[in-house]
Amino acid sequence: MIESDLLTMAYPPLLVFAAALLVLVLPRALGFAVAALSLAATVAVAFFAPEGAHLTTTFLGFADIQPFYIDEFTRMVGGGLGFLGAFGVIYAYSSDAPRVMAAFALAYVASALGAAFAGDWLVLVFMWEIMAITSTLLVWHHGGDAVRAGYRYAIAHGIGGSLVLFAVIAQYAITGSFAMVDAAGETVGMADGLPLLLAVLGIGVNVAFVGFHTWLPDTYPRPHFAASVFLAAFTTKTSAYVLFRAIPDGHLLLAYMGGAMAVYGVVFALLQHDMRALLSYHIQAQLGYMVAGIGIGTAIGVAGAMGHLFNNVLYKSLLFMAVGVVIYRTGENDLYKLGGLWREMPITAIAFAIGALSITAVPGFSGFISKGMVLDAADPGYYGAPEYQALYWLLFIGAIGTFLSFIKLGYYVFLHGPAERTVKDAKTGQTVAMFSVGGACVILGLPVVGWPVFTDLLPLVDGVTVTQLDTALNPYSAGHLTDAAILIAVSAVGFKLIRKPLSKLDYSDPALIVNPATYYTGRYTMLGVTDLYAAVDAAVVGFVKRCYWLGNNPALAVDEAARRVPGLEVEKRQPADGGRPSTIHLRTSIGTTVLLLTIVLTAVLWVLVT
Amino acid sequence: MSSVELLPALLVAIPILLAAVPIVLGLRYDRTGWSVAAVTTVGLAAATIALASAVYADGQVVHVLGGWGEPQGIGIELVADEFSTLIAVLVTVTAAAVLAYTRIGGPRGNTFYAGYLLLVGGLLGLSMTGDVFNMFVFLEIVGLATYAMISSGDGPESAVAALKYLILGTVGASLYLIGVGFLFMATGALNMQVLGEAIPQIAEAGGGDLTLLHAAFAFIFVGFALKVAQWPLHTWQPDAYQHAPDGVTPVIAALVSTVSAYALGRVMFTVFGVDFLVATPYLTEIVVAVGSISVLAGSTLAVIQTDVKRMFAYSSVSQFGLVVAAYGLVTETALLGAIVHLIGHGLMKAGLFVAAGVIALGYGARTVDEYAGLADRRPIPAAATAVLLIALIGIPPSVGFIGKWYIAVGSVQAEMWPVAAVVFLSTMLTLAYAARLLEKMYFTPASALESPHGPGAVATDGGERTDGHNTADAGAESIAADGGILVGSSSRGSPDSVSFGMLALLVSTAVLAVVLGFAGGTFADLLGPFVTEVFN
Repeated sequence: MIESDLLTMAYPPLLVFAAALLVLVLPRALGFAVAALSLAATVAVAFFAPEGAHLTTTFLGFADIQPFYIDEFTRMVGGGLGFLGAFGVIYAYSSDAPRVMAAFALAYVASALGAAFAGDWLVLVFMWEIMAITSTLLVWHHGGDAVRAGYRYAIAHGIGGSLVLFAVIAQYAITGSFAMVDAAGETVGMADGLPLLLAVLGIGVNVAFVGFHTWLPDTYPRPHFAASVFLAAFTTKTSAYVLFRAIPDGHLLLAYMGGAMAVYGVVFALLQHDMRALLSYHIQAQLGYMVAGIGIGTAIGVAGAMGHLFNNVLYKSLLFMAVGVVIYRTGENDLYKLGGLWREMPITAIAFAIGALSITAVPGFSGFISKGMVLDAADPGYYGAPEYQALYWLLFIGAIGTFLSFIKLGYYVFLHGPAERTVKDAKTGQTVAMFSVGGACVILGLPVVGWPVFTDLLPLVDGVTVTQLDTALNPYSAGHLTDAAILIAVSAVGFKLIRKPLSKLDYSDPALIVNPATYYTGRYTMLGVTDLYAAVDAAVVGFVKRCYWLGNNPALAVDEAARRVPGLEVEKRQPADGGRPSTIHLRTSIGTTVLLLTIVLTAVLWVLVT
Repeated sequence: MSSVELLPALLVAIPILLAAVPIVLGLRYDRTGWSVAAVTTVGLAAATIALASAVYADGQVVHVLGGWGEPQGIGIELVADEFSTLIAVLVTVTAAAVLAYTRIGGPRGNTFYAGYLLLVGGLLGLSMTGDVFNMFVFLEIVGLATYAMISSGDGPESAVAALKYLILGTVGASLYLIGVGFLFMATGALNMQVLGEAIPQIAEAGGGDLTLLHAAFAFIFVGFALKVAQWPLHTWQPDAYQHAPDGVTPVIAALVSTVSAYALGRVMFTVFGVDFLVATPYLTEIVVAVGSISVLAGSTLAVIQTDVKRMFAYSSVSQFGLVVAAYGLVTETALLGAIVHLIGHGLMKAGLFVAAGVIALGYGARTVDEYAGLADRRPIPAAATAVLLIALIGIPPSVGFIGKWYIAVGSVQAEMWPVAAVVFLSTMLTLAYAARLLEKMYFTPASALESPHGPGAVATDGGERTDGHNTADAGAESIAADGGILVGSSSRGSPDSVSFGMLALLVSTAVLAVVLGFAGGTFADLLGPFVTEVFN
């Protein structure tokens, strides 16, 4: 098929990167259009290019490197990222995003796509590092507060990236190959031991494991609100996908880390005042569901995780878009200072509602399908094992927390009290972007018509059947709907109870402790190393200087040494020639040399001849 | 006899014959010496390169002098093989290039250039002779020419240094001659090729003749150890290098000891042969020990010098120690390394002494302390010195690195760990004296108070600074007389007397030292046939 052959040549990251360069030089509207088109093309390539490895090449002296690999996983991740990216560009265009920022964002998108389409670890780690750099530039470009946060972001990702790099090296040392996927299309995974440990820790930085997450709520609220849309979608989701590639079979501890992230994320999300910080903590919580699904490692767990990843790309960006419009129109980040905006900006309110209903997994929206799959994978009543019982409850608590915090966000921004200000609603481009993304969230979650299409996209799921388990999915069963109803009821009552005390709480972010701790640890380590170096340096230089002095002033040195001997009087040496006080006449006379010559000759003759 | 076979004989005869021309012309004209020398050396360089291309294409070229093919091996031959041709190229190219310095920098005079040509002829003969007695003759020609060159410096120090070299050099050559006598007694032959075949047979037979061979080796080795300036027989060398005129030191330093070291290698490997060297108890140990001790002693002495030329002279003691130690390892790689280091050291040391001359001429600086702040005032000579020093340390890419590298690899192959340690230590010690100079040039500001030729400027070992910088002083004073500029630290030396040719020579030497650092494979290819033949 000629068309599909052509598609295999269209390496999406390259297309997007070319668009990034074009945005800089073309007129603004045209440049953004080209960028959106390049991302739309990415979606087309992702869905229509034939499966398998393309553009196999030799890179850095390693043969059989696959930069462009298409299978069910990369198709879905790459397609999802491309779809969101296209509307993100439209949103950025109408949000007055500067062209340079757009270029950085597109370069960042290109590197994330490169990581998503990578067919082996070498390309992946390469793209991984570029992604860290481009995203840091995207943050830095905003200036002000974003610079320091971007610096912390860069340090975190530098450490994470190095760990992944070492993991890939260790993997190569053990297995002798960079292959991510074997010939049959099965994911290989990192070898047990050092590679796996390093990989999980390194990827753990990017997917915001509890304890490694401080960069996330620190960084994402600070740059331009259109940049936040991109940041929210790409790094963490790509990393969650890579986490699956590293541990295809899951691990109990990893699953529980996912549960912990879900609970931890929503608890801190509830405590936030800043709208984008609240959403940022939700990124961590939602990643918790993906990590849990990957950790469980069963077909439905992984499929649910991937589905949740895809959905998350859509609705989390939608939420960042809606909140971005609010910030754009009001200039206010603090949700307690807003209120009643639904009358002023109904379009934005509707878009926000779609996103909120999706993320809280209300039936009829896409989040319901994927979150349900993860919960079912953990629930011993469905597909889970007994050891996941506690995980199930953690994820359930996370779901309640998600409800609470989105009720909080929606209530204070759009409902609470009368609108104190008169503002315009979203611009056309913003509206188009929000409703396109929101539309996908709704359609993919609709009963009967929508969700089978969505599940068909998922890896390991064929139509509505989970291939390995040979069971059909049935999200709209009575049991699931009851669960959802319980969830909503508990949350609605719960919010009534905690609304008052919650509004009095100001958040105590662990970043407040972690950042100074990191700062002082870094500072004193640096000082320690510098001082140690200086001490060693001084010692060595002092030693060498003394040696030189000894060599140049042998007579003085002998005098000095003699003076230290007790009971020995040494006269002060008077320079005889008026210049240097310490000269030894080493010059050997002709006679002495001839004597030496004779001695050497005698010695050599004696050794050789006798 | 084809024209190529004539070349070796012409290369030796022409400079010796033309040495008379400057003197004859001098009866009529004042300054013809330089022109004659320039034309001759450039012609010789072209001829050696032509010879080299023939040798590397078709193998060795042998010229039987007078066509006297005598059966017992007393007939005199000139042999241009892969090893000797490389040395001949070094000799002629260096001799031609250094003339770029002496044109302005001196010394002048027709007799000087007569001696210069005689020296070149002797060196070429020494490189290409295929006969051990003839080698003595050329050794003496080189020696005599060198004495004349050293004594051409003004002042008593030059005369004393020349006398010292005259006496010691003659004693060394005599020891060599005694060794040759023993050889002749044992084998009845003088031709190297014939000797190379006879000696293994005697070694196998044993008896009194073998003892003669051992004695012969002892005399020859000790004689060359003096000529190559191995510690503790080096004592003539620092004086000679320091007190020779600035224009002469590069030639002597780069060529005289180098060709002597070549001759030692030639006698060891072509005449005595690998089997004899390895079979004789303690022989390789002695050679390695002499070389290694020279490396350490020479570097250490170099570190404590205050006079730059003297420092470079001691550095030569150490670098030749490395070459001798490499000979003693008796492996293919080490021999290759020794040859490469011979060439590389000759090049770098010539460059360094030219730099020392240029700096003395243009800046009036002769001691390490006076080099302070040189990088700011004379950036080109300072940079060239820096590059050459770095190459001498053996930091890649440089010709110094590949030589040391091959020697180090050879020592590891021979499992002579002390030598490997000495190579490493020599690098550290070279770094020590090079760093001293680099630090002065680049990081110490020139002191305005310091008098350029203060009374305290006496070399550590008592070698007093004299002569040689007269030209520089004269230049500086003439500025003072003409333009009223005071002779002081701000106008030391006379930059005007540094010609473009000198700087071009300096810069191209530095560049060559780096470029040849990429030529390790080329050297290995060129010398491969010789090394293989020696070891099989």
